[in-house]
Amino acid sequence: MIALEKIERRYLSEEVETTALADIDLTVAKGEFLAIMGPSGCGKSTLLNLLGTIDRPTAGRYLFDAADLAGLQEKALAKFRAAMLGFVFQSFNLIDELTIAENIALALTYRRDVTGKKERVAAAMDTVGIAHRARHFPHQLSGGQQQRAAIARAIVGDPKLILADEPTGNLDTANGEQVMNILAALNEAGSTIVMVTHSPSHADRALRRIDMLDGRIVASAARAI
Amino acid sequence: MNRLAFLSLYRSFARQRAVTALNILGLAVGVAVFLVLALYVRFETSFERWLPDHEQVYVVQTVWDTPGSPHNGPYNDTMGGLLDQLRQDFPGTIGTRILGGENGGIVRQGQVSVTDDVAMVDARFPALFDLPMVRGAVAGVLDQPDAVLISRAAARRYFGSGDPIGQMLTISVFAAQNYRVAGVFEDLPANSDLKLSLLIRLPGDIGRTNPNWYHWGSTSLPTFLRFPSRAAARDYAAALPAFVDRRGRADLGDGASDMVALALLPLTDLHLQPEGSASASARLTLIALGLVGLLTLLIALVNYVNLATARASLRAREVAMRKVLGADRAAIIKQFLGEAVLTVALATLAGLILAELGLPLINAASGLALTIPYAIIAPALVGLIGVTGLLAGSYPALLLSGYRPAAVLASSRAPGGGRAGARIREGLVVFQFALVIALLIGTTVLVSQTRHMRSADVGFQREGLLTVLSTRDSLVAPAQKRAFMARLRALPSVRAAAFANSTVGGSGERNADTVALPGVPGSGPSLVWESVGPDFFTVYGTRLLAGRVFDSARAGDDGTNRAPDATINIVINRQAVRRLGFATARDAVGKTIGGARPLTIIGVVDDMRFYSPREPLEPTYYRYAADPAELLTTVASVRFSGDPRAALRSISDLWQSIVPQVPFDAQTADARLTEFYRADDRATRLFAIGAGLAVLIGCVGLWGLASFNTARRVKEIGIRKSLGASSGDVVTLLIGQFLRPVLLANLIAWPLAYLVLRTWLAGFSDRIALSPLYFLGGSLLAIAIAVLTVLGQSLRASRTTPAWALRHD
Repeated sequence: MIALEKIERRYLSEEVETTALADIDLTVAKGEFLAIMGPSGCGKSTLLNLLGTIDRPTAGRYLFDAADLAGLQEKALAKFRAAMLGFVFQSFNLIDELTIAENIALALTYRRDVTGKKERVAAAMDTVGIAHRARHFPHQLSGGQQQRAAIARAIVGDPKLILADEPTGNLDTANGEQVMNILAALNEAGSTIVMVTHSPSHADRALRRIDMLDGRIVASAARAI
Repeated sequence: MNRLAFLSLYRSFARQRAVTALNILGLAVGVAVFLVLALYVRFETSFERWLPDHEQVYVVQTVWDTPGSPHNGPYNDTMGGLLDQLRQDFPGTIGTRILGGENGGIVRQGQVSVTDDVAMVDARFPALFDLPMVRGAVAGVLDQPDAVLISRAAARRYFGSGDPIGQMLTISVFAAQNYRVAGVFEDLPANSDLKLSLLIRLPGDIGRTNPNWYHWGSTSLPTFLRFPSRAAARDYAAALPAFVDRRGRADLGDGASDMVALALLPLTDLHLQPEGSASASARLTLIALGLVGLLTLLIALVNYVNLATARASLRAREVAMRKVLGADRAAIIKQFLGEAVLTVALATLAGLILAELGLPLINAASGLALTIPYAIIAPALVGLIGVTGLLAGSYPALLLSGYRPAAVLASSRAPGGGRAGARIREGLVVFQFALVIALLIGTTVLVSQTRHMRSADVGFQREGLLTVLSTRDSLVAPAQKRAFMARLRALPSVRAAAFANSTVGGSGERNADTVALPGVPGSGPSLVWESVGPDFFTVYGTRLLAGRVFDSARAGDDGTNRAPDATINIVINRQAVRRLGFATARDAVGKTIGGARPLTIIGVVDDMRFYSPREPLEPTYYRYAADPAELLTTVASVRFSGDPRAALRSISDLWQSIVPQVPFDAQTADARLTEFYRADDRATRLFAIGAGLAVLIGCVGLWGLASFNTARRVKEIGIRKSLGASSGDVVTLLIGQFLRPVLLANLIAWPLAYLVLRTWLAGFSDRIALSPLYFLGGSLLAIAIAVLTVLGQSLRASRTTPAWALRHD
């Protein structure tokens, strides 16, 4: 489904060039659950941002379902994200002024092709067990509940790929486990997931794991099933 | 805006009530000030536009250009018979003239006589002034010598609810005559300088009975002409110099048009082009007020943009998340423009309410009767909302939509727009405070000038002085004037009284004459001359600079009924000493000037300012009339003691007992002078209100920005304090951050204020000096306001404990 070829990402700030990613070749198959690990600053989140098209590579090709995304304009990329991707962040990034149901529905706001939005929102909330908090605001929920809401928002549009950036980083162990269970269940149901994590135990829940160091992939291993 | 964006905005408002209220209220006040001042500007520029075909009507101006004359410049009156000569020389001329108008005649009904706005007009008057009729028809009425058209208010005044048509009124202009009411016209609107309550026909023989009717150089009434097009008016005006040369030769000599020109002024320009130097100031004052309105709105908009961009950074994560979820840049721009338009709409509605609530106060303060014409204002406000919303929302929208979601979501801190954002915000604060400081300086200067006008030395004691104008009425016989003066002087409250053809506020007559100087070729400089009776200088308490004033015991002082070549004793004022070329007042005394009409200067008095402080003091000579009751225009000036109302009452009773047929008309000197200050007072009050509110809006903006910046710097404050900074250091840091743009603002404000105020003050003959203290004062005030605005927050921030602050994001 995804193929990254010779991807590079360099940043230039005040005449200092920093290479965040270099020589990245990576494929992700449909239905895969990939975990990305590595120390802070190794480029995990940058890679995830590139996969999510909220950042652009400096060099290399990004093929999604064999289509090259490099040439797409901002508007087309936005459309692509709305239709194909679901994001889960470490800090949830729910909008404070919207209720949980509205936050989840927000993901469908930019989708003209979707019908039955109410039902989809209700179904997404049921999937993560947050329906009873539909009318609450984010600050009225625990961290675990907020992250479940964020997952519901990520899956409500039925995306082809779910990108999770340290989804358990701000949660205690119990809530972290709960979130991982949901992600694993989604994967079992057919969702493709790419997850950045610091937790080896959570990485072990993925089907494949890659390790990064200094902007490069240094190891790749599939989990024995 | 979709439902979720709207909900998000609504809840953001609800969550940050204080900031939202400040943002909306600031903008609302800006809109209200703009609205009120726009109404005022609209009112002032709408004079006579209510008249059908107003754009075709022109006023004929007499433009004097005599070397050295104090009376040079355009006058909106012409010689009475000008229209007759124009008709003869330019067949097809459509014109009319209005003799009288405000307080133009006396109306007697039964035993009661009142002064009213009686105007004598030509039969062609309706061809130019198509007054809307309430009863009767105007056609042919003004051909009848005994018909009168009256206004609706006059009909109510004289006949109550009864039918006025066919009723009789006795009207006196030159002599009492009975008139039959033939029609009633609608009252003229407030935006009209025409003061017409009763219209009667101009006597056909007035050219024979009035010696000045065809005298070139006299100005006795306004003449109006109508042209089908601007080009026709231009062609007509081009032919006027030759007409003046031809017709004015008899009175003005060869080359009359070099001395007197006739110009055509569109009727709608008349209100903003009054005679004399007040003309430029009237327009400038109006432009200044319009600018205050615009600038206040601009300050409010800058506020909104500043606060919106500052707050926008707090919503960076929301924007980033929306982008992650698939929103493109256009959707974000649309959302934030929608929010801005909605906010501006709310603020405009609040501004409209504020304006509606504030108008009675503004009207009371400015003596106006402004109302909001919703049919015109509503579409204008919709346009304003659209334009203002787009202007105010475009920067935050562009800024926010430009955020890169990956960078925003990776950062632990909301972006503030970076260094560029901070610079733009600081630039906007500089711009905003430049306007605020300029307005503060402007207000201080305006108020000082207005106070100066009221308290300046006018050359006479203005308290305890009143003017009786009734004596100038042609219906008052000289014997009645003499009797009135004799008994007036005997009243216990009267300390002195005098007749003259001049008085504070003017008598309605102003004369000027050229005075030849010995040994100097030419007709000499032009001086105003005034005839004064016994005790005139005593009544005014005029300061004697040299020589002596007139003495009734010296028969030689009387300047009336002298042979044309006989020497006349005169007293001159300080301005005349300069104009006549004498080094000092003492040098002038005893000198004879005037050539063939010799005038001997017996004394020099100080200048007396009888007119507007905008008008220059005129070089004047006074001649003595031992029996001033015989003068054409005689007004009485009275020095009294005690309560002015009691003095007026006793003099009124005396008048009624001697001249019952003419209404008593008198005013204190203070009241007459106040008339000259009224327009400037009104403009100053409006300016001060507008400027005060603009300052308030500026403070609201600064407070909001300070609040935002202080909140963003909590962690920095914690770090600084942990490194040893005291609370005082933190306060200095935070206040200093806002003082820099305020100080920079002076660089723009000072030259701006200087240029505008110098131009405005140039319109006053008697004016204050544009001292640097006004500029320093305005700046210090602005700095004090800015410091006070941010002090509370700075103190609060300085007291935060470092441990808590360091955990703050």
